[in-house]
Amino acid sequence: MGALTDKYCIVGVGETPHMRPSNRTTLSMACEAVKKAMADAGLEPRDVDGMTSYQAGDSTTSNHVATSLGMRLNYSVDIFGGGSSTEALIGNTIGLLEAGYCKTMVIFRSMNGRSGRRMGGQAPSGPVPPTRAAEDNQFMMPWGWTSPAQRFGMSAMRYLRDTGTTTKSLAEIAVAHRYHASLNPKAVMRHPITIDDHQNSRWVVKPLRLLDCCLETDVSACLIVTSRERAYDLRQPPVFIMGGTGRTMAPNSAWNYSRPEIHYVAGNYGRNRLFGMAGISQKDVNLISCYDAFTFTTLIQLEAYGFCGKGEAGEFVKGGRLQIDHELPSNLSGGHLSEGYTHGVSMVIENVRQLRHRADDACPGWAEGTHSYDRQAGCRQVKDARIAACLGWGTETMSSSAILRGIAA
Amino acid sequence: MATAREKPRPLIDNLTRPFWEAAREHRLVIQRCQDCRYFNHPPRSVCNACHSAALTFEPVSGRGTIYSFSVMYQPNVAGFGDELPYLNILVELEEQPQLFLVSNLSEVQREQVRIGGQVEVYFEDVDAELTLPKFRLIA
Ligand SMILES: [Zn+2]
Repeated sequence: MGALTDKYCIVGVGETPHMRPSNRTTLSMACEAVKKAMADAGLEPRDVDGMTSYQAGDSTTSNHVATSLGMRLNYSVDIFGGGSSTEALIGNTIGLLEAGYCKTMVIFRSMNGRSGRRMGGQAPSGPVPPTRAAEDNQFMMPWGWTSPAQRFGMSAMRYLRDTGTTTKSLAEIAVAHRYHASLNPKAVMRHPITIDDHQNSRWVVKPLRLLDCCLETDVSACLIVTSRERAYDLRQPPVFIMGGTGRTMAPNSAWNYSRPEIHYVAGNYGRNRLFGMAGISQKDVNLISCYDAFTFTTLIQLEAYGFCGKGEAGEFVKGGRLQIDHELPSNLSGGHLSEGYTHGVSMVIENVRQLRHRADDACPGWAEGTHSYDRQAGCRQVKDARIAACLGWGTETMSSSAILRGIAA
Repeated sequence: MATAREKPRPLIDNLTRPFWEAAREHRLVIQRCQDCRYFNHPPRSVCNACHSAALTFEPVSGRGTIYSFSVMYQPNVAGFGDELPYLNILVELEEQPQLFLVSNLSEVQREQVRIGGQVEVYFEDVDAELTLPKFRLIA
């Protein structure tokens, strides 16, 4: 068990709609998300004295958001990074709260991820202008190899060949996450898809098809963390932070070096720390969020975090195992593939709502924790959801994670 | 028609200049540790294996194996629009396990690409200042 296991809680969550495009500033969107999270928790601006965020030179910063909302912060630090940041900042936060740097902390991400700078290197008007590729990039970009889809596609190709997995296993993930999105009024893509739909979608970067790729959107999303003593007085059932990892590295952070295979990803090195700190095993986990920038990143992390054996994920995901009412429901909001791309925050938000037993679905009583469990009627609440694993991803060589526990089930 | 000037070009620095200057002369050189003989690519400030700073560039055979590949269909990258779909390969050079180079496979051999394919380097002069090492299948 970790020294801080269960001492700190996620007490507020909030987000803007997923917009394509927003026609708004990242500051405007961040203010909306933070205000919604504060309202969710029942907190006033004076109650929040810490704020942290992550970005890629594409967003506003904590001091501007706090000033806009009338907060005076005792701690405000913004970091550089993408998908490996959410759970890492949860780890930072509980340490800072324990040390007394502040008492209640906001974590946010805000980005015009579709209408502004896109991860795939595409500007709104078309390809990015000519680039001077610095440092390691000069050994990749001149050959036209620049985007996350290209990099992860290279790993996926080798993985498929080494394990005999086919792209129909990738399709299982796309289908599961889309099914969950069909139960999520906030999701961008809500019409269910089939394995065949996936197999018939166009190539983006072989071996990845269109339905293997996440939905870049304009969005801001926010979490609020405080001590359990404060949490007991707030609006929502508390969700306890049991353990986690922060930007755990593979032995060499250059994406394609010094591993047994290029698809032996960083989660393999964080797994024992995560479950050891939480004091549970994989079998205790009721639901997961497994970072789905691409279907492949979900697939490979099931192995990395020990939910199945090495090379077995392709079989593991078959038969709908990742779907609600099955063994290991994954990305209940629809994830980055079907709800929208937030660099990870939305996946933790969904797990919090599930652990509160308050998934914001079609059930009239969801806000009070009353659910029908009738999927035909649009209920997306996982029955008896008690423990959720959040499996973040940055690259093959870097990942972060957290395990959360609820009391509402 | 996209021109070579529109494509991403290397921002050559003191660490990487020997690689690019050798490529101009149609030679493939890789940074090598003079203490433990380990090859480092991309070039490093200290050796990945023993952390020595005694690093110089040495010629390599230019032969290797295709470790993996991907095929790009998206018009994301400036200057590559006319080449879609194009192939990137990860070449494992024969000198050392996991000594990887990102490159392209010769256009005419695109249909024959496979993991494990044996390749050798050739050099494509982009313009007067830039030459890119590329690979063709030999078996
Ligand atoms: Zn050395």
